[in-house]
Amino acid sequence: MKKYNNIADKLVKSSIANPERIYNYLLYISAAFFSVLIIFPFYFLFVVSITPQHGLAEVRYLPTGFQWENYIDTLEIVPLHQYILNSIIIATITTVFVLIVASLAGYVFGRFKFKGRGVLLVAFLIITYFPGTTYIIPLFRLFTGNISLFGLATPDLYGTPWPVVLPLAGITLPLATFILTVFYSRIPDGLEDAARIEGCTRIGALFRVIVPLSAPAVATVGILTFILVYNEFFFSFLLTDSSYNNWAPLVHGIQMYEVTTVRGSPYHLMAAGSILGLIPVTVLVFLGQKKIVSGLTAGALKE
Amino acid sequence: MENNIKRIGDVVKSVANQLGGRRVSRLYTRLMNRIEVLPDDKFAYLMLTPAFILMTIIAFWPITYTLQMSVREDHDIETVGEFVGLENYYKILTNDANLLAPFFDITQPFYSSLTVTIIITIGAVVLSMVLGFAQALILNETFKGQSVMRVIVILPWAVPIVIQGMIFRLMFTPGAGVGVEWLDFLGFANATSPLAYSRESTFIVILAEAWKHSAFVAIILLAGLQSINRELYKVADVAGASRWQRFKMITFPLIIPAIFVALIFRTIESMRIYGTVVAVSGCGDVTVLTCSVINEFSRHNYGTSSAVAVILALIIASIVAVYLTRFAQRGGISQ
Repeated sequence: MKKYNNIADKLVKSSIANPERIYNYLLYISAAFFSVLIIFPFYFLFVVSITPQHGLAEVRYLPTGFQWENYIDTLEIVPLHQYILNSIIIATITTVFVLIVASLAGYVFGRFKFKGRGVLLVAFLIITYFPGTTYIIPLFRLFTGNISLFGLATPDLYGTPWPVVLPLAGITLPLATFILTVFYSRIPDGLEDAARIEGCTRIGALFRVIVPLSAPAVATVGILTFILVYNEFFFSFLLTDSSYNNWAPLVHGIQMYEVTTVRGSPYHLMAAGSILGLIPVTVLVFLGQKKIVSGLTAGALKE
Repeated sequence: MENNIKRIGDVVKSVANQLGGRRVSRLYTRLMNRIEVLPDDKFAYLMLTPAFILMTIIAFWPITYTLQMSVREDHDIETVGEFVGLENYYKILTNDANLLAPFFDITQPFYSSLTVTIIITIGAVVLSMVLGFAQALILNETFKGQSVMRVIVILPWAVPIVIQGMIFRLMFTPGAGVGVEWLDFLGFANATSPLAYSRESTFIVILAEAWKHSAFVAIILLAGLQSINRELYKVADVAGASRWQRFKMITFPLIIPAIFVALIFRTIESMRIYGTVVAVSGCGDVTVLTCSVINEFSRHNYGTSSAVAVILALIIASIVAVYLTRFAQRGGISQ
């Protein structure tokens, strides 16, 4: 007992003598605490995903068995790879589309002075404040071919990627434009002028000088847009039907487990499917963590 | 200048030659010439055209269309009913509209789902702000393993909403989830099958939201912390300020702008929550306002649905307005 008292005594003394050290311990403890708090749901999902069905009831903090076949079995209930592929294609098309349109807009917003620039920029940003519910009914009617323009019915796009691509491009465009506006405006005028004197057109200067010089910013916008589209729920869910042949994205793939649930609730298979769906975004986060941080802060703080 | 246009044109020309011959390439060159001789502001408008066409189709037109629908009668077969003025709004606000049955008070569907939405917003925003702030303060220090923690902090932000829902659904499923024990420990009455009850489901939705979105708060506040001038801390050190004093006198006042930004974004996002609710428990247990909109929409009550959507947008706009005026006042004082 005396020994422990001694140790406690020493600890108190040393921490009074050196408060920085105690502070450092606290820092590590809290860093570990928050990391565990964030990681736990992922960890739990993973544990459930490798548990055999009969072990599900006993699962708490440690796996009760290892059944890697869950990852194959889950694809037999729901062809999730098809949905994931659809989502990746949809996100890629949207990203390319947004990058081109936002580059043109960011170029003139960032480097030109023209009448109505402020008003147009505000009109752009205000869109982000509206909830998706204010768009959904007209968009649904538009994409199912129920709106007529000058007496002509709009094409029925339901069952193609466009009902998801177009709204999500619209939603991510303001953020993308804003980030690119900020970065493009930072490029010294001299470089653009030099290109112009050499005989470059304005569009030429954009794609030959400005875009290559802001490659990190363009990559940032690309990663952000891809992840935002891949993760989106509202439009992806409501503007598509649930068949993967009709370009239904990941949302419907995961929701299919609710529909096709076989007797005995295959929770382990739901978990395995979710892990598969996480792979693309996890890879992107590991590759582009710094860009995600800089992109989100540039987008939010400058607005 | 002429030279260069040709140079760009050459690449396209070679493609165009194969596709449609010389006429196309000549057209292209002429088009590029036309664009190049435009004065700056006309050039700017031209470059903005694609963006504005997209925004018109996806945002401006739908908003006006929804406004129009909201003053028209619900109609079974025809999609556009008679003009009825503000009757839809009046019915909704006086509980005359047959909205989705919520859990506080079935006789007051609109106010109940508004309450649920606000409870979720307050709970999720407060929790994610507190957790995010703590994470930002930790990440602002230098320590071993910092970069690992940064990846960990960002991860939930990148999780698809439907998978976020699935994770929390599984965690609180009786017979498989570990969360059931936690709820029991916290003293919830229906802990054994929490997702079958509204109160417990709402709590779980708040947890799921806080988990996913504290990442965003952390990123914004971290940027705020890192933009604080280091010299200020040196001065404080010389003056003999304690850690707490430094936090109170320097850190906190200087990141208030970042806090406001995070608050505004988080509040808007929370007020229009839909996916998490659907994926965790379904609209039947946790009836937020977006659920009412979608439910009326799926019943082809376009008028009522649009009116609820407009009301929700107005509520969000007024909250943002309150924040912004507060922020302006704050800014005025501190400067």
